[in-house]
Amino acid sequence: MAELAHEAALDHAHPEHESTGVENRKLGMWLFLSSEFLFFGALITNYLLYSNRGGFAGVYPAEIYDIPFTSVSSFVLLMSSLTMVLAHNAQSRDDHNGTRTWLFATAALGSVFLGGQVFEFTEFIVEFDMTLATNPAASAFYVLTGFHGTHVAIGVIMLLALWGISRRRGGLSDKQGLNLELVGLYWHFVDIIWIVIFTVVYLLSVPPT
Amino acid sequence: MSSPEHIHHPSPAQYWKIAVVLAVLTAVEVAMYYIDRAYDLGILNGLLLVILAILKFVIVVGWYMHLRFEKSTLSRFFTGGFILAAALYTIVLTALGIVAIRGG
Repeated sequence: MAELAHEAALDHAHPEHESTGVENRKLGMWLFLSSEFLFFGALITNYLLYSNRGGFAGVYPAEIYDIPFTSVSSFVLLMSSLTMVLAHNAQSRDDHNGTRTWLFATAALGSVFLGGQVFEFTEFIVEFDMTLATNPAASAFYVLTGFHGTHVAIGVIMLLALWGISRRRGGLSDKQGLNLELVGLYWHFVDIIWIVIFTVVYLLSVPPT
Repeated sequence: MSSPEHIHHPSPAQYWKIAVVLAVLTAVEVAMYYIDRAYDLGILNGLLLVILAILKFVIVVGWYMHLRFEKSTLSRFFTGGFILAAALYTIVLTALGIVAIRGG
């Protein structure tokens, strides 16, 4: 009964809803994110298949991880989820200054994360001579974290675009507000994928014995 | 976006509290990593780290993505995709006999 009342309240909140009761673009974004589980799942599985399979030449990723550095990167990305949800919250209260500030903060934190990833890759290549072609484990690592980084980069571009629009007089319109919500969903998703990668790839990986 | 739906969402103060919880969970994860290196917790380490990751995952999806405040249709689609992917790749890893995780 309470669930019915909750659904009814949400119906009322969306005057222009579709047959599913959810706005099409929002439903599309959730479906897209749902399908991304299969994409990243395949890359994580690929990494697990090769991460401690011995017999290949060269250094393995698990031998050279810099856990303190990656922990800080993870923390930065996690906090970007906070700034993202604060931007969304500010937009819902028509607080244009708050929306602008938090959007920019999110893009900045995302950029810091990306900078950290570039630093990590550079260090692995220059200091440890671990390239994409070193062995299947290294290849799986770069492909997985590289695709995640690409997702973050796309998110940063979308955030900066929204920030640019929000700087116009009047801030984001209601329609653009939905765009902010969709970009927010995408951003949080990138964060939860990193939560999985950080645990499975960095904290639980062991090199071959 | 100035819709009544957001009345149900957490306040900024609550979002900050959730961030603190997430930060603490991350700190515990990193601590677990070093404790395991020092004392070799075996499978317990893997189990605890997976539980902590699931907790963080659920908190972000539920509160920051607002899935717990959304229509059940969205939850079904999202969790459906997750369960499908998790089941598929668990089968693949099990079939290939690969459990390349510490303590596994």
